[in-house]
Amino acid sequence: MNPALIALTPSDLVVASLFVLVAAGLSVALRLGLERRILVAAVRTVVQLGLLGLVLERVFAVRRPIVVVAMIAWMIVFAGREAVARSTRRYGGIWLDAWLTMTVSCLLVGGVVTRVVVGVTPWWEPQYVIPLLGMILGNSLNGISLALERLLEHLDTRRAEVELLLAFGATRAEALREPLRTALRTGLIPITNAMTAAGIVALPGMMTGQILAGTPPMQAVAYQVVVMFMLAAANAIGAVVISLGATRRLVTREGTLRLERLFRAGGARGRGKGRAVRRSAG
Amino acid sequence: MENVLLRCGPFGARDGEGRVLFESAVLELPERSVTVLEGPSGCGKSTLLRMISGLLPTTGEEIRELGGRSYGRSELPEWRAGVTLLAQDAPVLPGTLEWNLEWPFRLRAADGRAFPRERAAALLEAVGLGGVAADREARSLSGGERHRLALVRGLLWDPPVLLADEPFSGLDRKMAEVCRRLLEAFAARSGHAALVVLHDPIVDRDSVRRIRMTPRGMEVA
Repeated sequence: MNPALIALTPSDLVVASLFVLVAAGLSVALRLGLERRILVAAVRTVVQLGLLGLVLERVFAVRRPIVVVAMIAWMIVFAGREAVARSTRRYGGIWLDAWLTMTVSCLLVGGVVTRVVVGVTPWWEPQYVIPLLGMILGNSLNGISLALERLLEHLDTRRAEVELLLAFGATRAEALREPLRTALRTGLIPITNAMTAAGIVALPGMMTGQILAGTPPMQAVAYQVVVMFMLAAANAIGAVVISLGATRRLVTREGTLRLERLFRAGGARGRGKGRAVRRSAG
Repeated sequence: MENVLLRCGPFGARDGEGRVLFESAVLELPERSVTVLEGPSGCGKSTLLRMISGLLPTTGEEIRELGGRSYGRSELPEWRAGVTLLAQDAPVLPGTLEWNLEWPFRLRAADGRAFPRERAAALLEAVGLGGVAADREARSLSGGERHRLALVRGLLWDPPVLLADEPFSGLDRKMAEVCRRLLEAFAARSGHAALVVLHDPIVDRDSVRRIRMTPRGMEVA
């Protein structure tokens, strides 16, 4: 292993868990009522990351492309699920669209980065492929859910404006120009902000991790630049593909609105809604 | 009876509980005419207008004919450019009053037609909006002002047929009368017609053609 890396022992983790107890104790002292949730969240962190670590160790050890591909497919499924779960409005076919979008952005951006920019060999080398694709998926997820939320909100609450344009003979593209524009803008703002603030306000997580692991800072910077640009593309592709997918299902080519296909998350299919509510309550 | 300018249908619709609102509704509008669509509240008048315009999904088996030309499903945008709906509640786009009159002329459907600026000023004056600043945000207009703005937009666009869904709501009697005359003048020209849904029958019932909607179809009154 890298000589610069100081290995953490189980006792180090025990000491670290004292930090969580400090947060929970603060909640008790100030009657925030959050101690239960803080502890549950802490346990989830340990269990989820522990499982991930075990899985990654197996995947790295087995060294077979099919295992890496399966892992990526599994990540795509969960990323798509999370993107839909964050949306307060849904439509028939949203799951398929989200998975399709994830797959497109994952293969397109991930393919270029691992094959052309980094030049990973073999193409499925898990040490590179899994973390890079993981970051792409996480960011596509952001782009997708932000753009989708904005687009569906526009079609739902400003339906009359879209219909007004259509009523005067606007084509679908003309009538949807404004909703698509705002949706894509919204999807691209976070990564633009992240690129603007990179290295000034915060050290990017991946770069920090690489430096901790002993990578020379300039190498870590080079990787971070690649990753930032890659994530910008992932956000953009995610936002564009999902927006086009959604508008195709909700507005026909001849400009007839099919908003009966649009519904609010909730009820039997609405576990995502409950999560959203809990998130905003926190 | 004069030439039939518009013919479309059959349309059918059900309410939220699945009851039939209307079935096999076929509509014909003669040239140079104002037709008032009548029927009790909730009988589907707005729905029918939106189906004619193709904003609501239909079976796809209906015909749409305007001025002897037949429009297929894929030609709905062209159809709407010629059979233009002035929707209930007079929606506006975010932007100035002037922009709200001008934007249709930026659509591909305008086919290069220029915005008739002088006529716009004259019409705004006629409906009592002459004193409103052209750069006033349209969304800040009152309901009655928005209805007048919507009518002016429709008249400037000047399609062969206007479908007007309660175009005079929120207007006092005098202003409603002015707007009615403008709409009648629009429809009285050769190659033009209007179909109007009215809440208050302010038009002289004897001077216009009336169609009554029933669950079984359309009856010319």
